Amino acid sequence: MNALRVLASRLRGLFRKRRLDETLDAELRAHLQLLTDENIRRGMNPEEALFKARREFGGVQQTKEAYRDQQSLPLVESVAQDLRYAIRMVRKNPGFTVVAVLTLALGIGANAAVFSLVDAVLLRPLPYRDPDRLLLLSETLPKQGQDELGVSAAEYFDYRDANQVFSEVAAYQSAGFNLTGGATPLRVNAAALSASAFPLLGVDPILGRTFSEDENRAGAAGVALLSSALWKNHYGADQHIVGKVIRLDENPYTVIGVMPAWFKFPFEGSPIAESADLWVPESFSQDRLKDRTNEFGVGFIGRLKPGFTMGQAQADVERIAANFMRLYPDSYPGTVRVAPRVFELSMHSVAKVRPLLFLLQGSVLSVLLIACANVASLLLAKAGHRQKEMAVRSAIGADNARLLRQCFVESFLLSFLGGVAGIFLAALLLAGAQRFGPADLPQLQDLSLDARAFGFTFVLCMLTALLFGMGPAWRMSRVSPLAGMKESAQIAGMRGNHRLQNALSVAEIAIALVLLIGGGLLVQSFRRLLKVPMGFRADGAVIVRTLFDRDRYSDPLKREAVQKEILFHLRALPGTSEVAAASHLPLGDIRQIGFRPEFAAADDYHWAENSLVSPGYFAAMGTPLLDGRDFGENDGRNAPSVAVVNQTLARAYYPGREAVGKRFYWGDRGVFTIIGVVADVHISALDADPPPMIYNSMFQVESGASDRCAFILRLVNSGQSAAQGIFPAVRQRIWSLDPDLPLYGETTLNALVSASVAQRRFTMLLMVGFAAISLLLAVIGLFGVVSYLVAQRTRELAIRMALGADGKRVGWMILRQAAALGLAGCGIGLGLFVLTSPLFAANLYHVHRFDPLTMSAMPALLLTVVILAAYVPARRATRVDPLVALRYE
Amino acid sequence: MTPPRGEVLQGTLDLIVLKTLDAMGPLHGYGIAQRIQQVSEDLLKLNQGTLYPALLRLEQRGWISSKWGVSDNNRKAKYYSLTRSGRKQLTSEAETWERMAAVIARLLGAEGV
Repeated sequence: MNALRVLASRLRGLFRKRRLDETLDAELRAHLQLLTDENIRRGMNPEEALFKARREFGGVQQTKEAYRDQQSLPLVESVAQDLRYAIRMVRKNPGFTVVAVLTLALGIGANAAVFSLVDAVLLRPLPYRDPDRLLLLSETLPKQGQDELGVSAAEYFDYRDANQVFSEVAAYQSAGFNLTGGATPLRVNAAALSASAFPLLGVDPILGRTFSEDENRAGAAGVALLSSALWKNHYGADQHIVGKVIRLDENPYTVIGVMPAWFKFPFEGSPIAESADLWVPESFSQDRLKDRTNEFGVGFIGRLKPGFTMGQAQADVERIAANFMRLYPDSYPGTVRVAPRVFELSMHSVAKVRPLLFLLQGSVLSVLLIACANVASLLLAKAGHRQKEMAVRSAIGADNARLLRQCFVESFLLSFLGGVAGIFLAALLLAGAQRFGPADLPQLQDLSLDARAFGFTFVLCMLTALLFGMGPAWRMSRVSPLAGMKESAQIAGMRGNHRLQNALSVAEIAIALVLLIGGGLLVQSFRRLLKVPMGFRADGAVIVRTLFDRDRYSDPLKREAVQKEILFHLRALPGTSEVAAASHLPLGDIRQIGFRPEFAAADDYHWAENSLVSPGYFAAMGTPLLDGRDFGENDGRNAPSVAVVNQTLARAYYPGREAVGKRFYWGDRGVFTIIGVVADVHISALDADPPPMIYNSMFQVESGASDRCAFILRLVNSGQSAAQGIFPAVRQRIWSLDPDLPLYGETTLNALVSASVAQRRFTMLLMVGFAAISLLLAVIGLFGVVSYLVAQRTRELAIRMALGADGKRVGWMILRQAAALGLAGCGIGLGLFVLTSPLFAANLYHVHRFDPLTMSAMPALLLTVVILAAYVPARRATRVDPLVALRYE
Repeated sequence: MTPPRGEVLQGTLDLIVLKTLDAMGPLHGYGIAQRIQQVSEDLLKLNQGTLYPALLRLEQRGWISSKWGVSDNNRKAKYYSLTRSGRKQLTSEAETWERMAAVIARLLGAEGV
């Protein structure tokens, strides 16, 4: 209480300084006057009386000083003084200030932008109750190299009932529906969730309620929870939406609630376009429960009981899996042995982007380090000129601590200005990244510079200031008054400066080399990626997706008739050359089936990608047929079952033999004969190797994927405008046959390809940007150092030349010194790269992290640039006129 | 030779000023200085200037308050007076001081025996 009152009074004193000073003056004057009066009364003459009074009073000035210190906050005041002084310095050297502030802004701004990304994706906890106790369980098939399948429906119940480590569990599955009843049918993403998911995650709806256990049972009346986005965009945020009935795939669902906008489970890591629009209760059909290993894909989350660890959870699920595999040996033969694994939910959703984000943050911090080194170099150069000033200040009584503080206040001011400019730069960078960045980098779209980013930037500014201010401040504050006053001060104390500046320059070159090599490797990766044979011709083909839902098309023959008619109508469109349809397209659509080669052991099951295609699909996609034939009109439902396989499958299962004519089993569908082999196509993404693949005719095979249908149209004219122009006509043709077919996913094959490489492109561009900035900064730094060196040694050079050294040799000497710095930097940089290369390795594609070409080209490039940068000052050195130089000194 | 005059002990000046104002009522800085010298019979060496930071400190803590007024011989002067919390502070500080003095006295006495 008292301390607060004193502080308040002191703060008042800080701001009402002049008035309080006057009051004190008056008071002290009165005191002296009274003393003098008294002395006169005792019989002294006025002069003597005043003198005596002053002596008794003591030092008036000291009293005032002590009073002022008591009255205000002396530290604040002297720092304010330092700050005023610093502002004057900064304004007096606009050139220096602009260069330093821009350099820092570049470093700090890039860091703030990347931090907001890292923070949003990696650092912020998931918005659920106790998120670090949430685990995810998924199985793999190690014998088939199959990663993360989820679990099957029957296994979900086993894990749910037999586990001893989870207090709550829930199942989820992604789903898709046609939402009809509006102006045009809408395709919506959905997730099916157990009723237990909401209490498990600790999430409440903003309107209505969540599912009840009853609604989870198979056969219960349909209910749905809407996402906030769907509720706002499609239903105009209708407050009375609860209780209304919507139609999903032609079935009625009663809306029971609306979820908050941030709720994205289980799509936290997905791009916005793929986050859930609504949620329905998870209920498993009897069919799914019967066959334990026919279909996986059920997500399992659990909340760890208090006191249990992840290791115990892992052991527990392994025990359960071993049990059910022993109980049902027929379901888990040979290659179908499952291995369960638990993950932290928070880690799992970001596992893929983690190495990328670490790489980006690391790189951008390196850029900041270079920026710091550069500013420190500049300050050091300036320190040479300011020695006199510091010497004078020290001579008139400033102590070392005070000089040190002065230097740091200047550094902080520069850093603060850099930070402010940096925030603006970061905002620009973020806007750019959102506009041009990859759509599949999670959370990129909801990034903003928030309080945490500002906090980070502020801390970064402080650290930056300390970092670049340290060397120069130490050097400047250690000036002796005498040395500073000497005329020759400019030469004295120079060696130390040089050593520090050289070290900074070497460090800059080393860090720049690491970024250059990293950027080079990513560029190499990207070029390799683009050169990968895609297995199809991307130019001049457009795609439109639709869905023949089973309620309206319960008869496969009716669906087939409509599909054939649509194909016929689309073929008649002017400008199209080939038209086909497929259930699954390359670069993103995934569907796997299990098959067993003929004559193989009964439990020798394998997985292959699968797509149901129309005859002419390979021609429309431009996928070369390597052997055999395409599907024909005769491969109908009553004809013998046939399949086309890709090269990888043919090579893996029929090595050195002709695949055409061989047969395999697909579940209980019987035996299929291979009629053709086609080139490999990348399925999940361009940077994933093509898996074995089986194509079937959509007009012969009926499966769970039969309702999915994408139409592919190859155009005569491959221009972008031709592609865009065709969509209205396609829509019109299809809707003329069935106006209730939802049409979505209108795009070109080219767009699919670039979306598939978007994240790599983004990473590469960022890294190349960082490498370029660091190269530029390092070169500017070196240029500064060499120029300064030449300027400082003008006199020495002049003497050398006066003694007969020839200009050329002097120039060579300077160049040699620059080259030595460059070589030292490159050597250290290579070492640094070896240490940090694991960070890069995770982001490379088919390029070794010690790629010899990159590892030799980048140092060569850097050295060349270093020599070029040194050439200008070196040339100036050769032109030193001894007479002029000596006179100047 | 006059006996050496004692410096004002660190921290005791506050107590002295509070007690003076308690005994004399509102007083200006000069008056306080005079009174201290008078009471101590010039045994205390007081640099009168040092009084002012002390007065400010006491005022900041709310133990005394100040007001401009006119002195006996018609000079404008700032008068300080004890506040209620200042009186409380004086009581507690005086007690502390007496306890301390007693302890010191006993210590010194014990040494003599």
